[in-house]
Amino acid sequence: MGSDHSSFKRLRATHRHFHDSTWGLVFVVPAFLFVVAFALMPILAAGWLGLHRRLPIFDIHEFVGLANYIRLAEDGRFWSACWTTLYFTGVSVTAELILGLGLALLLDRGVRGRDRASTWERVLILIPWAIPTVVSARMWEWLYHSEYGLVNYLLEKLGFIAAPINWLGDPIWTIHGAILMDVWKTTPFAALLLLAGLQAIPRDLFLAAQVDGAGAWTIFRRITVPLLLPIIVIVLIFRTMDAFRVFDAVYVLTGGGPGNSTETLSIYAYKTLFQTLQFGYGSALATAMFVVILMLTIGYVFLLRGYLREVSR
Amino acid sequence: MSVFPLARGFLPVVHRLLMPLCLILASCLPAADHSSGPTTTVVVFKHGKLSGDPHTFSALLREFEETHPGVTVREELLPSSTDQQHQFYAINLEGKSVAFDILAVDTIWVQEFARAGWILPLDHVVLPSERESFVRGSIEAATFNDQLYAIPWYLDAGVLYYRQDLLDRYGFRPPKTWQDLARITRTILDREGNPDLKGFLWQGKQYEGLVCVALEFIRGYGGALLDDDSAESAEALGLMRALVKEGLSPSAVTTADEEATRHLFGAGRAIFMRNWPYAWTLFEAQDSPLHNKVGLAPLPSGEGGKPVSTLGGWMLALPKQAPHPREAADLLRYLSSPATQKRMALGLGYLPTRRHLYQDPALNQAKPWLADLSSVFLGATPRPVSPYYLMMSEVLQPELSAVVVGLKTPHAALRSARRQINRIRETL
Repeated sequence: MGSDHSSFKRLRATHRHFHDSTWGLVFVVPAFLFVVAFALMPILAAGWLGLHRRLPIFDIHEFVGLANYIRLAEDGRFWSACWTTLYFTGVSVTAELILGLGLALLLDRGVRGRDRASTWERVLILIPWAIPTVVSARMWEWLYHSEYGLVNYLLEKLGFIAAPINWLGDPIWTIHGAILMDVWKTTPFAALLLLAGLQAIPRDLFLAAQVDGAGAWTIFRRITVPLLLPIIVIVLIFRTMDAFRVFDAVYVLTGGGPGNSTETLSIYAYKTLFQTLQFGYGSALATAMFVVILMLTIGYVFLLRGYLREVSR
Repeated sequence: MSVFPLARGFLPVVHRLLMPLCLILASCLPAADHSSGPTTTVVVFKHGKLSGDPHTFSALLREFEETHPGVTVREELLPSSTDQQHQFYAINLEGKSVAFDILAVDTIWVQEFARAGWILPLDHVVLPSERESFVRGSIEAATFNDQLYAIPWYLDAGVLYYRQDLLDRYGFRPPKTWQDLARITRTILDREGNPDLKGFLWQGKQYEGLVCVALEFIRGYGGALLDDDSAESAEALGLMRALVKEGLSPSAVTTADEEATRHLFGAGRAIFMRNWPYAWTLFEAQDSPLHNKVGLAPLPSGEGGKPVSTLGGWMLALPKQAPHPREAADLLRYLSSPATQKRMALGLGYLPTRRHLYQDPALNQAKPWLADLSSVFLGATPRPVSPYYLMMSEVLQPELSAVVVGLKTPHAALRSARRQINRIRETL
């Protein structure tokens, strides 16, 4: 050990002319290369492929400039998938945030208060999130089954409906069935992040507010929400990106049907790329998707920048 | 500021992490085969899971090995989803990383794979004069530029399942036309008065199976999917929608695939079902509630039309970069031989692709409906035979599904499908 130490000392001495910030750069390089190799390169490659017409089956490989993107603009199926995806994202993320916040508040109260939530309760809440998506999609497929499904059985028993609802076969219900499944599955994730945020808020603030005579709602609105805002932004960005590129859940549940009413952008891109092997057009689709997500994320950051600055002050 | 001391603790950690990793990697490498001599050729056969007892098929392969000393056949199973199998082949064959000698391909992939140059012509395995001994539709589906690119392995065709007991109770015979079927269904549903009993089940989910079913309706009316004059096609699609709308088919068919309909029918909850022949064996099992209650018939047709079943099934092909093409061709010849096909049919229930086997006494004894339905199987018609069929199907699936759930009229859906398909044709 001793000799090790002295050899390090010697090593340090020989490199003393390197400034600390230089070392900083050196140590950032691996992470940077990693991001370039596994995130930036594939995105650029997809963008480049999107400028080609590439159909390996027909030996077609030619540069076509923006032709794929022009075709995209005229492709009704693309726009319909776009709206489906945005609708799915908007509704599911909103519901997840509201329910997740409610759950987090309950858990937080449990952790702090007299009725301490046991580890078990927290673990139980996490179960939906821990189940592999394909498994839960299959499970929901059975729950929604119009003849054997539990959902219709319960609704009928409780007298809410007279005839079974065709959850996955009726275009109006199907997208909402998919949203409900996603909410069930990912609310625990939102709740967990928000719970961490809640527990980081100093308790003194709540006590001080109580002393000043603030009610529960005022405390929630004036203290909890503003201080939780950074975490809320993170949850929103995480969940929006996840929901926007939703694939496995919906693909297993409906395959995009009926009549493409649940076809999201990821499903359309998958079918184009991997089932019909249109590599060029499929890449253009994927690139368009990336651009939309990028814009959404930038939008979030801009929208909430003002609030964030205020909070951090 | 020194970060170096960290390295002292770091090395052993790396070591501990790498050791198990190396072990895992080592176990993934093909183990050296010590039992057989160095001259053994291993022929790798990629296919999806077969139904029934896996030993039946591996016993066939062991027999092949006995007659071909020095050759070992290794089966490598692909995921059961056909989409995933297609993806696997596309990536590996296009990437030229071919670590297999024989592959099982869906009937609808052969043209695509042949056009892409991924598989070899097989005229040296099945001579052009021998093609006649196979079911005509399957040879049509496997022929590209006058050359055979795949050998039909086993066959599928849509058939009508009916509840013999229910039809007998009301004195009906299996329906010949869709109008018959609708009339019988309505009568039985009314007289039984059982809310749990449904009428006619078919596959109406947005997926490949829906295209197969729709083609049967359309062709049974004498229509052709890609014709511009679409009166018959529109009438046929209109009937599909009407079945759902009028409750002759339960709304569950709009999300149903083969297994969903099979389960519902198998629980005794429907009068009719369109499905592939595989379900019959399951209904005839001793513990099935439908034992001795199910009959099979050709699908009905439109008034004045004649029934047409869609051809399904799998074929065998050789990849262009096959490591052992000669041994693989031998195995192909063996697997497609009448004797092997007969044993596949008897042991696993797969329908043969050799025509004369439909008259075989042993097979007819095992499947009493085979002779009656032989015209269905021998006359099964492939889906549009084209290298870009998958693109076509990708366009058709949502349009057909939209008709079935009532989002679009048959005319609107057909027009939209034709426009998109023409567009694909123009760009190729």
